[in-house]
This record gives sequence, structure tokens and C-alpha cells, in this order.
Amino acid sequence: MPTREDDRSLGWAAAALGGGMLLHVDRVPAWVSAAALILLVWRLAATRARVHLPGAFARVLLAVLVAIAVLVRFHTLNGLAAGTALLILMASLKLLETWRRRDRMVLVGAGLFLLLAACLDRQSLLRAPLYLAEAWLCCAALAVVATDGFPGRAALALAGRTLLYALPLAVLLFVFFPRFAGSFWSLPRGDEAVTGLADTMSPGSIGELTTSYDIAFRARFEGALPPPQQRYWRGPVLHDFDGATWRRGVGARGAPWEFSGPAYRYHIALEPSHHRWWFALDTPAQSPDPAVLLTPDYELLAARPVADQTDYEALSYTGARAAEPLSDWEQLENTHLPGERNPRSRALAHELRARAGSDAAFVAAALEFLRSGGFVYSLEPEKLGPEQIDDFLFRTRTGFCGHYASAFTVLMRAAGVPARVVTGYLGGEWNPVGGYLVVRQSDAHAWVEVWLAGSGWRRVDPTAVVAPERLTRGLIDLMPEALSVQTRLLHGAPWLLGLLQRWDAANGWWNERVVKFDYGTQINLLERLGFRSADAWVLGWAFAAALLGWLALIAWQMQSATGRGQRPDPLARAYAALCRKLGRSGLARAPHQGPVDYGAALAAAHPALAGEARTLLAHYAQLRYGVENPATHARQVEAFARTVRRLRLA
Amino acid sequence: MAVRLPFVAAARARMAAWVRRRQGEDALPVTLTRRRLYILPTRAGVAFGLLWLLMLLAGLNYGNSLALFLTFLLAGFALVAMHECHRNLLGATLVAVSAPPMFARGAGALSLSFENAARSARPGVQAALDGGPLASVDLPPQGRARLELPLAAARRGILRIERLRLTSAHPFGLFRTWTWVHLDVEVLVYPQPAGSLARPIASGSHPGAHPHGSLGGDEWLGLKPFRDGDSPRQVAWKAYARGAPLLVKEYVATGSDLSLLDFAQVPLPDPEARLAQLARWVVDAEGGGERYGLKLPGTELAPNRGPEHRHRCLAALALHGIDDPAPASAPRAGARPLHAHA
Repeated sequence: MPTREDDRSLGWAAAALGGGMLLHVDRVPAWVSAAALILLVWRLAATRARVHLPGAFARVLLAVLVAIAVLVRFHTLNGLAAGTALLILMASLKLLETWRRRDRMVLVGAGLFLLLAACLDRQSLLRAPLYLAEAWLCCAALAVVATDGFPGRAALALAGRTLLYALPLAVLLFVFFPRFAGSFWSLPRGDEAVTGLADTMSPGSIGELTTSYDIAFRARFEGALPPPQQRYWRGPVLHDFDGATWRRGVGARGAPWEFSGPAYRYHIALEPSHHRWWFALDTPAQSPDPAVLLTPDYELLAARPVADQTDYEALSYTGARAAEPLSDWEQLENTHLPGERNPRSRALAHELRARAGSDAAFVAAALEFLRSGGFVYSLEPEKLGPEQIDDFLFRTRTGFCGHYASAFTVLMRAAGVPARVVTGYLGGEWNPVGGYLVVRQSDAHAWVEVWLAGSGWRRVDPTAVVAPERLTRGLIDLMPEALSVQTRLLHGAPWLLGLLQRWDAANGWWNERVVKFDYGTQINLLERLGFRSADAWVLGWAFAAALLGWLALIAWQMQSATGRGQRPDPLARAYAALCRKLGRSGLARAPHQGPVDYGAALAAAHPALAGEARTLLAHYAQLRYGVENPATHARQVEAFARTVRRLRLA
Repeated sequence: MAVRLPFVAAARARMAAWVRRRQGEDALPVTLTRRRLYILPTRAGVAFGLLWLLMLLAGLNYGNSLALFLTFLLAGFALVAMHECHRNLLGATLVAVSAPPMFARGAGALSLSFENAARSARPGVQAALDGGPLASVDLPPQGRARLELPLAAARRGILRIERLRLTSAHPFGLFRTWTWVHLDVEVLVYPQPAGSLARPIASGSHPGAHPHGSLGGDEWLGLKPFRDGDSPRQVAWKAYARGAPLLVKEYVATGSDLSLLDFAQVPLPDPEARLAQLARWVVDAEGGGERYGLKLPGTELAPNRGPEHRHRCLAALALHGIDDPAPASAPRAGARPLHAHA
């Protein structure tokens, strides 16, 4: 029969488990949370009202059903998402058969494991306090479960204090515990929503461009920042156009470029995007990582999608030119247009090219056409008809970067000038707190590269002609309506913006120093701390030393925290010493005996001792209980203690 | 303690003997020092350790910093918890152990008094006899608390308690610290009152019934030293005021019924049954406010009444035929009377 105390302790265990579940509530399917909630309410109701809990058979049946449901939903029981859902459901079922202390401990353990799963899932700075709170809750629940009648408030205080003591060790272990490179096993990751730049572009089919305030990457420059009109971050280069969609080409082998102009060295912290693209300032001169390919189009293509925060050092030059002329194949690829579509655009291109006289002048003329043609920059353009480019250039004249880049490239190609679309990001917001540029998804951009004989691929940004401010100001400033109401509100207040920047800087620090702390960083840190050739051995020793130091500190701290109530005063210590000495005669003082009684007992048992012992004991009684002269008392006590020290019993 | 393999039992016995040799005999008060406190993880602690290992592997596998930090925080937590568990007993003092006499097959209690000199409380201090259930008490800061352990005895005689286990799994149940206290506590076990024979009443007929010859009212017997439990109304305060020790005036009731209970006269063949019947009579007579005397081979108690007399009579019954009070060891059965009359 469970007592009220059992119910209380069950409540705490359920809270620890529930806290763990809450960390996943936005990740697991809603039915998982709902089922867990129902089971939780069911179990808690059974403690108060006469609600029946299912029998053993029903519980096994439920467990099998739950496993099947997870299997159906996730097609696996392995993997973080499926495993978390399964753990949540099984732990909730465990609630139904929680009767003993051990069962409640299991619930707390499940709460801790859910916390671990949450850590594996997301490591943002925003969630770190939540994780800490859940750890605290679990530890407090452990205390309530372990000791009957232990009050919750005291448990929270105790768990908090214990975790506080544990914190230095956690930091030490974090820094010194050897991180092994590589994986023992790998769980398949869940299929998460794909954010970031895609490697196709179909501007005509988009009715409304949704922009996101999410961060694409942060860039920290070693020297000066590139000027705003040079902050083009190069991404996928698109060659193939089928009349509606731009795609990457089949990957022709282009000749290497020659770099000139100022070199920019910088550090990029790329947010997870689940694409294989890495980004660099136009134009990257080398691959920042062996696992990343610098393509002939000077794109950075990684072997694997960017699943976690990724850091790299990049080197770019803003001046670059192709050393060799285009191959025939490239010439063909970059002037290809599908079929006989968009006749008006073709006619316009031919006319402009004929008037211009040179390719460079033709580019200028085409830009002039866009500038003076009544074109409008908008994130909510009309959808275009089947002859997309004609429709755009001669009817709607409203669009965003994709429209302009697409139409401009078609104009170039129609006149036989090789051109291609480059996608990426433009600009970036300066964060004065962190000292870096923040590039957001809303900074996504598309521009054009035109081949001019003699100078190679030249960047042309037709959007900049239509909306010149886009070069120097972010899309957010330009088109606030493109953002969600909340983001706009945040952006509206300067003080909030400052706060946001601070927060972002803190995030940057967190990601760089905490989330991405690994073996390499560890070794670097040790070398900076003065260990010359820091390797695993040094790491181990440093760690062991730190551990011992911490243990000693904790032991000492606890000792002084508990301590003895009061140290016995000198008189009491002298008396204790006297009793010890007299006790060696064979007759120890019984706890109930006072000094005078003890003296009498001693005198009876050992008459030889009687004189000395009784005198000293009486002296003690007088000092302790007699009328005290404050002026001389301390000296008398000292003298008594001295006498006791010198006492030698026969 | 669910394991009952003979090999485990033997190991336990050897362990107990080793601890006994190592620690030696204890004398009250017993302060729990480092030297005598042992600590091991509990089952929950081992499970926690396994869970922790799994967490560490997961964290290392994914190179996930937050998971690793959580794991390390929990490692520190467990180590501090170990310290805290140890500290919960360290420095506590067992100041007194007492057990009032009990009846065989009746409920008895061993009362343990603890003192906590520390400024912090010591919740969840537990004690148990070998193989017995745990009883729990919270020691307040700089205070005392008492804990009662249930005792059971199958036979009359002396129940010898040689070993006590003091333990605590506070605060988190991951570790259990414990110590053994070796004390020689003897609990007197009265025979279980039994039998339905009528009590022989010999009202005023026995010559021993009037040792002091007076009729009617209570007669003043004399003075005896004060003992715990004596009524303050009976204390000779006047004598105390003159500087004498605390004395209690003893009276004897007269004029009531009187029984003389004689072992030899009980018409039962089995001596144990006779003792049980005598115990029943003593309890009944005392309950009825009567005077009674007891005669056993070699022992005679003059008729009287009162708690002290009752105790003397029952003690005589308990120890009848048990003449060797030398201690003997009984490692597993902490609650077995060792000198029961067979």
C-alpha cells in the first residue's frame, strides 16, 4: 500500500521525467507527447482518486503497441529521433508500474537520459540553462526519492549545492578529459528541415520569397573588412537553364584563375544547413579543408552536408581573372539557351549588342535598360507565364535578385556572350560586440558573371542597378515587410538591436569555445598553458592532478561546512586530558559521573592516587562551577592545563 | 541482503570477524570516525554508474560538448554525493543503547540515542541488527535523537546483541556508508506468560505475608537510592535539602490479597511451562494490585508488589536455570537468546 510519502516521492520522480520530456516537446511528434501526458495524468490520478491502473498483461500490450507505433512513424527504432520518442513512451509506461523506490529511481534515470538526448540534439546557448535546470531537478528528485520524508525545498538546496561543488570538476574534466577523435558508432540523424541556399533557382515560379532571419554564417576578418560593395559570398554557380529553372552545370574543367588585389584572411563559423555548400568571400583562392573541394567554378563543395556548426579559415581575393580563354565546351555551355523561347528578349539582346559594339558596352547597355525601364525591386512579384523572361522584362518588371540575375544572363547568352548565374549571400551585418559580420539567410542573393575576353569572368549585379541600396544595406532594412512581425519589431528598436548583437556575440562565443571544443582545441589550450609537446599522456596527468586537487578541496570545504559545533574551550580540553590520564589507572570516568563523584570513586579504587586526583578534580570543579573572577580566570585555567600536562601518575 | 548462498554467508561471517578484530570492542559513547566508516555504491549507484558510462560513450562518440559537460557534471555530482553520504555519519555519536526487559515472543525495542555535534542536520540515519529491518531517524543540528529498533526473542533468557549496523544512504541513495558497532548489550527476556491455571491465593495466611506486621494503609519500608522512573513525590526532599543524596521513600502495600507462587507447586510437568504459568500469575497479580511472592529452587522473593518487585520476579523466572552468563558469539542471529533454558 503506497503511503503519502511514496506519492510525494513519485511526484518528484515524475517531475524529473516530465522535465526531460519537455525538452523534446517541439521535436517529437505531437502524439508522443500527448500519450506521455495521458499516462502521466493517469498515474498521478491513481494516487489521489480511485483510478485503476492497467494490469501486467495490458502494460506489456501497451509497450508492444508503442514500439510498433514508433516503428511505423520513424521506420526504425534506432536513431536519435526514434530513440527519444521510444524512451519517452516507455518511461511513461514505466510510470504505470512505479511502486517502489527502485522504480522511482528508474524514472529519474530516464529523465537524465532524455536530458542527454536533448544535448545530442541541440546545443544552443539558449537551451543550456534549460538543461542545467533539468539536471538540477533530476538531482533533487533523486534526493527526495532516496530519503523518506526529505523536504522538497531542502532537496533542491542540497542538489543545487552538490552541483555547485561538482561544477569545478565538470569544467576540469571538460578541458582535460581526452577527447578521442572519431566515432565508435553512428546513429542515423533524423530528417530535419532543410534551410539555406539550394543549388537550383526558379524565380518565376515563386509568388513570394520567404526570408528567414536565421544566421547562415559568421565571418571574422583578421585585417580590414572588405568594402560593402565587395561583400559577395560565393555559393553555387548555375549554368543550366531550361526556361524556368537554373541548375548547376555538369562540371566542366575550367582553367585556374590568377588572383590579384587585396587578400582577405578570415574565419567563418558556418551554421548547419544540411547542404554541402561552404561559403567564402568572392573569390576563394584555396580550399579551407581537405574534405572540401574547390570546384573549377570556385565553389566550395564539401563531401558531406553541413550537419553541425563548422569552422574554417578562408583566403579570398577580390580581384581575379582567368588566365586562359574559355574552352569551346565552356563557351557552349555558358551561351546555351533552351529552344526558341523568349523571342522578344532575344530580339532586345541582339539589338543592344549590335548598337554596343563591344561585349563590355553591351553589358553596360543591358544594365542601362534595367535602370531606366521602370523596374521595381519586390519580394512579392507576380508569377510569370511560360515565356518567363519576356513576361518579366516587358510586362511585370517586378522581381527580386533571382529575376534580375536570370533575365540578365538570358540577355547576355542571347547575344552570344557567355554568362552564368552565381548564388550566394550579399552583405552581412556588423556585430560590434563580437567583432564579426553576421550573414543571414535573408542576405541570400543571386548575381551574374559575364565572360569578357581579356578580363575573364566579371561579376555583374543587375539587382544593384534596380535597387542600389541593396548593396550597402541588408534586405531587412530594405524590405522590412519580408520578415516576420516579431523580427521586425525586434529590429525596430535600436536598443533591442544592441541587445540582439550582444546575444549573438554570446552565441558566437558559446559555439566557438564550448560547443566546438575538441581534441585539437584541447591540445592548443594545453600548449598555451605551457605544456610543450602536449599529447594524450600530458592530458591524462594534468587531468589526474586536477581531479585530486578538486577532491581535496571538496573534502576540506565539506569539513569546514559541517565542522564541530563549537570547539571545546581550554578548560574542557584540560579536563578531558586529565580524565584520560586518570582513566589509565584502570578506572575510567563513567559518563554520568561528575568530577567530584569520579574523584571519590578513584579514591576508593586506588587510594594511592586519591590525593592528587581529588585535588585536581576539585580544582576543575571549582574553575568550572565556582564563582569566576574574570580577571584571573584565564590564567588559572592555563595553570590548571599546565598542571594536567605535567601530571605523571605512578 | 537477498542473497542466501552458503558461500556468501561464509564470506559475510569472515568479513564480520575481520571487522570485529580490526575495530575491537566498542565502549559508549561511540563516535563514528573515518577509520570505522565504510562506503560502497548502492544498487542504484551502480545503475547510475552504468547510465553514466553510456552517457560518456555517447558524448565522446558524437564529440558533443554539451553531452560531455553534462556527463562530467554528473560525475562530479556522484563524487560529491559520495562525500556527502560519508559525511552524514562521520562525527555522529552513539551515546546510549538501552533495551528494557521484554517478554519472549513479545515485542521489544532496542533504543539508540544519537548525538549530533555538527552544525548541519543528519537526515536519514539508519540502524539495524544483523539481518533485521532498517529503522531511520533524522538527527537535528547540534542535538540528539532516539531511534528504536524492534527486537524479537523466541525464548526467555538473555538476548545478547553483539553487533549493530549504523548506516545511511542519504542524500542521493547512490552510496551507502555504514559502520558496525560492537557492544555487549544484554536484554533480559522474560518467559512468555502462558497457562490458564488458577492463581493460588493465600490471603494473609502465609507467615511471610506480614514481614513488618502492620495492618491497613501503606507502610513505610525505608529509603533507597533514587533511580530513573521513581516518582518525584516519593523523593525524600527534606533529606536531600540537608545534603544527603537523592533518596526515595519506599512503602509497602499491606492488607491486600497475597499469593505465594511456588515453582514446585505448579502442577505442570514441563519446567518451561511452569515458568510460563508463573510469569502469567506474576503479571496478573501485579495487574490486580495484589501482593505476591515467588519461590524458585534456590531463590525466594518475599511477597511485595510494584514495578520493581514485578521485575525481580520475572527476572528470576527468566534466568532460572541459566547460570553461565559468559558471552558467546552468534554472528548471524543477532536476536537469538543465547542462554535459553533448553
